[in-house]
Formats: sequence, structure tokens, C-alpha cells
Amino acid sequence: MAIKGYYGKILDINLTTGEIKNTQIPEEDIKRFIGGRGLGTKILWDKLPNPGVDPLSPENALLFMPGPFSGLPIPSSSRTCVVTKSPRTSAVNPTYDHGSTVSYSNMGGFFGPEIRFAGYDGICVTGKAEKPVYIKIKDDKVEILDATKFWGMGTEEFDNALIDELGDRKFESCYIGPAGENLVPMACVLNTAARAAGRGGTGCVMGSKNLKAIAVKGTKSLEVANHKDYLNLLSQIRKSFKVDNNEALKWWRYGGTANALASSSRNGTQAVKNYSEGTFADIEKIGTEANREKVWKRDFACFSCALACKKSGIAKGSYSVMVHDGPEYETGTMLGSNLLISDLAGLQKLIAVSDDYGIDIISVGNTIGFLMEAYEKGIIDKAYLDGIDLKWGDVAASLEMLHKICKREGIGDKACNGVKFMANEIGQDSHKFAIHIKGHELAAWNVPVNSGYWSICYATSNRGACHMNGGMPQYQNAAALRDSLAACSFASRWYRNENSYAKFLTAITGVEWTDDEIDKAGSRIFTLEKMFNYREGFRKEDDTIPPKFFENKFTFGDHKGAIVDKNIFANDLDNFYKERGWDIKTSRPKDETLMDLDLEFTIS
Amino acid sequence: MNKTKYSRRHFLQDIALGGGGLIVLGTFGFRIFKDKDRNLIKAISVDFTKCAGCRTCETACSAYNHPVLINGEKMNGLGNPYYSNIKVYHFNPDVDVPVTCAICPDPPCINACPVAPDMNTGRKALYREANMIIKNDTERCIGCKQCAKACENMRGGVIYPNPETNRPERICTLCDDNPSCVKNCPFGALDFIEMPIDRQLANLAPAKIAERLIEQLYNLNV
Repeated sequence: MAIKGYYGKILDINLTTGEIKNTQIPEEDIKRFIGGRGLGTKILWDKLPNPGVDPLSPENALLFMPGPFSGLPIPSSSRTCVVTKSPRTSAVNPTYDHGSTVSYSNMGGFFGPEIRFAGYDGICVTGKAEKPVYIKIKDDKVEILDATKFWGMGTEEFDNALIDELGDRKFESCYIGPAGENLVPMACVLNTAARAAGRGGTGCVMGSKNLKAIAVKGTKSLEVANHKDYLNLLSQIRKSFKVDNNEALKWWRYGGTANALASSSRNGTQAVKNYSEGTFADIEKIGTEANREKVWKRDFACFSCALACKKSGIAKGSYSVMVHDGPEYETGTMLGSNLLISDLAGLQKLIAVSDDYGIDIISVGNTIGFLMEAYEKGIIDKAYLDGIDLKWGDVAASLEMLHKICKREGIGDKACNGVKFMANEIGQDSHKFAIHIKGHELAAWNVPVNSGYWSICYATSNRGACHMNGGMPQYQNAAALRDSLAACSFASRWYRNENSYAKFLTAITGVEWTDDEIDKAGSRIFTLEKMFNYREGFRKEDDTIPPKFFENKFTFGDHKGAIVDKNIFANDLDNFYKERGWDIKTSRPKDETLMDLDLEFTIS
Repeated sequence: MNKTKYSRRHFLQDIALGGGGLIVLGTFGFRIFKDKDRNLIKAISVDFTKCAGCRTCETACSAYNHPVLINGEKMNGLGNPYYSNIKVYHFNPDVDVPVTCAICPDPPCINACPVAPDMNTGRKALYREANMIIKNDTERCIGCKQCAKACENMRGGVIYPNPETNRPERICTLCDDNPSCVKNCPFGALDFIEMPIDRQLANLAPAKIAERLIEQLYNLNV
């Protein structure tokens, strides 16, 4: 263990052979790719030397990656990044049948820290078990156990059933629901029945391995390089979260990202009616105030976090349902505003059912919105939808469709593949309002207002459309870096100047990190992902945004008339490539760019 | 009582009175216990309405009580929560229940300790310090786990026998009368306050507390 703050090893589990081993991580990789998303992508790159591997084949690797901040009580640094080859994405002009992008999706909670307490810098699962299994890890003792009796269980029930099985409430776990088991491509991985590595089909890959859950508990401790510096930084950053009248802290505690429902709608940046509008007239019915008043009972925090943005409660009205986390901005928009649903209890029901199945709410909300638009336009009829009268704002119809998608029943067996697939199925120019990039559905932030930021953010995301990507290289690098440290983006404003990520990483590792080197590491990680995608056959034509944004104008609200200018977007994209040092014709990072970022190994 | 009128305040009052002792729910709960005519001790109180389950207390406790020596200097450790004396148990539906040694007036752990009292000090292996905290004399402890069983059966179940020696661990030290958990709680859910030593202690098991919190918070029929 040469670099402090790491164990220097990954727990490698092959579910086909049952082989369990520790794999050393090259020191050089730790320095270059840090952890989480970055190190996960590098391991994936090494595990899949050839492009075109079927993401649902045993060969694909599924990585659960904490970061160097995980397991240390650095506030708001509990993220676990799930990295794999995506079952969601495909190129406009495919080179390989199964050519797809890298997928990374991170979740908060307690799982990542516990991986590190057990003595690992990550878990890599390959192969496919013969029957449903779960993995139990207690420090060095790793077991692959039968999960047949849990197969088919919703995450809500399973969350408790697993604890009963383990007989110890101090195990932390993550798992899939029936959506993942059914190989719904947009299935996700969850922990604590709500916190999800929601995007990019992570749960589908887990399901393809017959892996229901991973449970972990650990008693180990790391060593950091400069213990005293680290303790000083910790006490300093804890103080910064304690300042009285800390408005940012109050904002998070008051409503979490749900606070953005009202502001985004006002600003015309919300996905409304399958992205046709940016403002939702009924937004106050599903926003923070309504939830504070009617639904939420408690605020919940991830490991060592002071923000407590997760809200739990009970919804009553058209539906009665336990709410583990909802709505936040994404779920409230994608199953609310985007479908013109303003019935709060109905929205809560949709969110709770989605979480129980374990499905990406962004993608499924987007897909139902697409079907609603196609239905309204008469491209598809009620018979095509198995008799569902899928009208805007209809909770019962949306719920019915959601069940069908998660169970892959009838129309759901098609719709579960997302909007790119559906547009190919039904044709008739429906691709124009299929709101995806590279096959991955866009999230709850609408594009036309602030299109300079959002169009680049979505178009250049390495996992396919992603709202967390950032609209310019500097933000993208910062996001890639946070995802690699395991730091939460919501708390990034506290990690500046004397409390910077660079200072923490220096104290932990003993390797001197500056803000510039942090930015460069972010750029390196982002560019490695790009090279992964390039190798899989993704080119410039894949870095675009859906035609709707060039053709549709908002019809009401303060930003009535907003639309994206195609030429401005084309120009912005070229400028983005230039700034990144990528070729503006092919989008491939230039050799000198790759050399500068220590990515020589990607040049073939 | 009319169900819809059964407020959170009523609930807190009920549980505070019934649960007693360390389990102080809401600020007024403290007042229920404060009684100038009775003997007071300083102990850690938990406000379940404020705990967000972040487990910062666990890391702070573990860091303070498991220090490391670096170049001859004693410093806080890195705080793996496994070694913490305070434990936060998470339940679904979502409630978090922090549990730590209640410094019971009638400690079932000490009562259960079978080691004969020392002729001079009168102490069993498990004994009470001047500030009321409970300690274990590792020289005399026989590792019979009776203390852990007693705590588990009668109180919060906070004592963990060491997996190798079977000797009791995880008993609150009050961190030299300045509890790290209280100092570091970001939500003000923990407090270090005076409370009467002869308070009633029952129903301290995390599962029981969780059951009552869940019933109050998430009862669909209320």
C-alpha cells in the first residue's frame, strides 16, 4: 500500500466461476484516476479490451466504486459510483451490434463508505450466476449466497427482508428490484429503498448477472498520509457547515432539490409536456411547500452529511403511500410536470412504485411522456397501448403503463427499451420528439432557455444525456472529479479555498494536489470515457440534441417562444471540441491531448 | 381520544413519560425530568425528532475513543463507526434511532456481573466511576457476556462483547465529560444535560423505539 488513503485493492468476484479474489490496483492508476467514476472507468477499460461486448453478457463488468473520501467522515462524501458498460446507449451509425457507451451512476447513502470499512477500494462483479444470488461481505469473508427466495421482491419489502436474513442491522447493502430482474434496460440499483444509482441501466446489468444484492460490513481502518492536516481540515469543514444563518444549508434541509421545482418552472428550464414547455402552471401543487404541508415528515441525511436533502413521509388523497424520497427535482418533474401530473398523492404513488420496481425514474418518466405525445398526435392508438387511455395528466393511466414497463408486459416489453427504440418502432417522424441522446433519455432540465449550457451539457455527456455533466469543460472536469472522490455535488460550494478537495486529497494521500491538477484529473477522466465511447463507435453525429429543440417553441410563461438555434448549437459544439483538444470532424481527442492527459495507452 | 387530534406533542409526552430516562423527545421532554429535589447526573439525551441518521456521532465517538499515536502524539482516529459507543440504527419505514449507554441508576450490566466485589473498592469487574459512567476492569473480567445479555434484555443493548476476548465494549465514556457525539451532531439531536439519576428506564431497545416512532410518523390511518 504505497499510496496512503487507499487499500490498493479491488474485490474481484466472478459469478460464473465463483472465484473471489483481491486484485491490486496499479499505483499509477490510483494517481491518475483517483477512485469512483474515474478509477471505475479505467478498470472497465482494462476489463473490456475489445469494443462491442454485449452489456448483458457475463463478460461485462459491474463496478461499485467508492472514492478516497469514502469511509472518512468528510461531510457529504458518501457517494458510490456504479460503473459498467451501458445497456442503454447506441450510436447513430453503429460500428458494432452491441456498441455502447460507458455508464456511470452514483448514489448516496451508506454503501460506499462500508465498502471501504471492509477494506476495499471497490467491488468488481463479472460473470453470471446460475441462479439468483447475493454477495455477503464481512471484511475478508466474502460469500456468494442463494437469493432465490428474494427474487421477485420489490425493493421496499426486500430492504427489510435482507436485514432479517443477515440478522444484523449494521450491514449496508444495495440491490435491484423486479425491473432489474426482468432485464428492463432502464432498471437501476438502489440502497435504503430509495437512494438510487438511477441512470444508465446499472440495475439491468446487475440483473443480467443474477445478482440481487450486495451486503457489506467492515471493521477496518485506513491510514492517511498527513493525519494532523486531515483532522484540521475535517474540523474546519465541519465548522463551515455549522455557521448560524447558513442559508445554503437551510435551503437543502427545507426542501432538497424539490426547491428547484418552482424556480426552474419559473425560469422556463423545466421539462414539461415531454419538453414542449419549460413552465408548468400547476407547479405549486407538487413543490416544496405543498410537500412540507401535506407529505413530508422527516429529513434524512446520507453518511456524515449535514444537508439532509432526502424527505420521507406519507402521501394521502387519491393514493395513500409511504414516501421514502419524493419528490425531488428529477422525480417530481419527470413523473409530474413532464406528464402534466399535478395530483401530489398520485405523483408520490408513481415515484414509490418506480422505486419499488427499481427503475430509472428519469428515463421512465421521459418514455411515458413520449408515448403520451405520440398518443395525442394519433401516431399510436389505444389498442397499441393495450387499452390504456394514456392522456396527459392521467395518474391511473401512467401507473398502468409503469407497471407494464417494469414487468415487460405487452406494450411494456417494447416501451421498457426507451424512446429511441420506441421512435424506431412507431416511426412517422416520432424521432423528432424522442427526447434522448445516444439512446439515453434527457433529464428534468429543459434545454431552450440557457441552451448554450444545457445543449452542450446533454450532447457531450459520456453516458448519454446527463443533467449532471456540466455545460462546459471546466464544470465537466469538476463533476468527473467529484464523482471520483465520492463527494456529493450538492455540497461542492463548501469545498473551496482553504477547504478545497485538493487540500483534502493532499492530506489523505500525501501526494501534492493543486486545484489545477484536480481540474486536469477531471479532464483526464472525462477524456478516458470519451475514448471508451470512441472505441465503441461513437462519433460527432452522436453528440447532438433531439430535433424537437430546434423546431418547438414554448407557447407560454416568461420564456414563451424559446427555441434552440441549430447554427449556434453547431458552433458551440465545435468550440467545445476545440477547447477540449478534440478533432472537430470526428470528435476524437487528438493524440497530443491524450498524451498531455497521460492517456497514451488509449492511442492505438 | 380523537385520533386526528393526537398530536406529535401528545406522542412525545407519552413516550417521554413512558420511555423515560435518556430518551428525551423534544425539548419539553427534558423539563419533565428536571426536578430540583432529585439527584441529577449529566448524561446524553436524544431528540428523535431531530436525528437525520447521518451517523456523524458514530464517527466522532469512534475517532475520540480510538485515538492513534502519530509521531508520539495522541490524536483522534479516523472514526470507523463500527467502534463507536453510540449506534444509530436505521429502520424502514424511515426512522433513525441513536442508542448509547443510559448510565442506568440500577445498572443491569453491573448487577449481572458475576465477578466478586473487590475487598478494598467494592467493585466488580464492571463498575461505576465517580461521574457515573460504567467501566470494565479488563484484568478481572472473565468474558462471560452476562452484562451484554442483561443490557440487551433490559435496556438498549449497547454492550458488544469483543469477538476475541468476549469482554464488554462500546460503553459510553462521556469523552472526559465533553461528549464528541454531542459536539459534532449537525442536527442538534444530541444534548449533554442534567437528568435525575433515578429515572425510569424501560423500552430502550432500538426496535421498540423505532416501532413507536414509525407508528406516529407514518401511520396511514391517522
